Amino acid sequence: MTTQNTATAVENGAPHTTAEPTVVVRDLRQRYGDFEAVKGVSFEIRPGELFALLGTNGAGKTTTIETLEGFRKPSSGMARIFGQDPFGQPAGVRERADAVLQGSGLMDDLSVEENLVLTRDLAADPRDVDEVLELVDLTEKRGLRVRQLSGGQKRRLDLASALISRPEVLYLDEPTTGMDPEARHETWRIVNDLKASGVAILLTTHYLEEAERLADRLAIMHRGEIHVEGTLADVLAGWGDRVGFQVPDEVRTADLPEVEGARCEVETRDQALWATYTVTGGGVADRAHHAVAALLAWATARGTVLRHLQVRGASLEDVFLQVADGTADLLAE
Amino acid sequence: MSTTTVRTSDRGASGTRTAPSVFAQTLRLTRTEFTLFVRYQTAWLYLLMPMVLFVPLMSMPSAPAFGDYTTTDLSIAAALLGIGLMLGIGHASNVFAARRESLVLKRLRVSGVPRAAIFGGVTLLVLLFTLLLTALVVAVISAMNGTTPADPVLLGVAVLLCTTAMTFVGLLITSLVRNAESAQMFSTLPMLFLLMTGGIFFPLELMPGPVGAVAGLLPVAPAAEMAQAAYTGYDVFGGFEGAEAVGTLELWTASLPSIAVMLVWIVILALAVGRFFKWDPRRP
Repeated sequence: MTTQNTATAVENGAPHTTAEPTVVVRDLRQRYGDFEAVKGVSFEIRPGELFALLGTNGAGKTTTIETLEGFRKPSSGMARIFGQDPFGQPAGVRERADAVLQGSGLMDDLSVEENLVLTRDLAADPRDVDEVLELVDLTEKRGLRVRQLSGGQKRRLDLASALISRPEVLYLDEPTTGMDPEARHETWRIVNDLKASGVAILLTTHYLEEAERLADRLAIMHRGEIHVEGTLADVLAGWGDRVGFQVPDEVRTADLPEVEGARCEVETRDQALWATYTVTGGGVADRAHHAVAALLAWATARGTVLRHLQVRGASLEDVFLQVADGTADLLAE
Repeated sequence: MSTTTVRTSDRGASGTRTAPSVFAQTLRLTRTEFTLFVRYQTAWLYLLMPMVLFVPLMSMPSAPAFGDYTTTDLSIAAALLGIGLMLGIGHASNVFAARRESLVLKRLRVSGVPRAAIFGGVTLLVLLFTLLLTALVVAVISAMNGTTPADPVLLGVAVLLCTTAMTFVGLLITSLVRNAESAQMFSTLPMLFLLMTGGIFFPLELMPGPVGAVAGLLPVAPAAEMAQAAYTGYDVFGGFEGAEAVGTLELWTASLPSIAVMLVWIVILALAVGRFFKWDPRRP
């Protein structure tokens, strides 16, 4: 048997759950003519909490972030940052929020250092440029023009540009795209440090492992709606454990047993039948055990063997794919 | 990457933070605009383009207008505004369309820079280069025929008002185009239209009555009249015929309606830029 372990954000310290939410979104809707891009989305982010917004292509994630960034006025519903409407980036919000945009936004004709010095000079309460350059490991590249950087280095500079203003709310729109694995892990460490220092973070990413590692809570959007929301453990618990095995040759599909709290599906793989029981009923901690026990008891009674027996918890990818109805539109938004 | 940790800031309990003033941010962005202008070769074209304006004006048939001044002198005085017109419309529309496309503008906004500072940075840069070029052209004219502006301050005000308005026209154009290339092409239309209706190549009196009256209210002709009045020291606001030399106070008093029209245009254009400017290249 195999099991799948998932490192979660819980390991990285709990968010400030008693604090007032920094970001509040209630029944947010965004319409463009007859097309509704966001359909009644609600969530909150507290200081020190990272909320991951996952979704399929065109799910409405970027539209939601742009509303929080102050570029779009909600068609209905509301968004509040520090209790203020963010539309138009009013004073009181703009000094305290920053973002890593999906598509960079650096000045290619300026050097790495010139970009950061400009951001520093425009910001309230900025960090030191040398400190931030060291943080993202671009000290040796400080004199290079941005157009001379690789994609991953540009992404690190994007992060540095967002950090220099010392934001209390940070929007990370696919922040590690183009980074090598080492830089991605280091970015995760920086993000965890930001959480620990009390920054409220909204993350969108297509790397599900990134969401699993960083998110205190997450939501999966599809076609403008949030379909699943909660802590990673809650989300996975709701989608059940999987018990699978190869259906014995002598057993007909109709003869497979009913298992309490489980739903059985049979599919053909490699010219053999495979059964998968999705167990959602009963306690999260022991429901897989009861299902396996029932199946083994049934097999023993029939004098057969359950070959290739596997038990695994649902992965975020399972949940994501089910939300997306198994469609192939999983490309970057 | 390094193992440096992210430190939090010392902040008041209210969480309030004070950014540099909009004026300080505008000056800082003007500095960066200058650096980018120097490094962006296309921008230099917009410095050279207005110079070409003066070549046909020099070779146009000239006739006495009033006093010692000819129609060519008056055209050249009005053409000084062409510098800010071309630079304002051309440079502002081109670089802002390019920066919107590359998300630079969006990045500035999300990092807390107010709109006024972003627009102010490019406007100040255009004003700076326009004033420098204007001073250069005036110096060359002075060296060639010995004439100097009768009221250089009024001339400076005319250049300032016209250039500001034209920069806002340039910013407004970016909301109608998708990228820098289309901004370059599209911007030539308002550029030529405003040059032709600005009283630079021919006096507005030569236009049919109602057309001339409307052109006189567009955001170049009033400033062009101010430039002609400032250059000659004559009250030209009622037309060249019968224009009389007047003192500084009378000249400024006669200029007030033109100044008012230009200020109204600047306010209208600023409001339009604030309302229609698009920060995001993504269209719904």
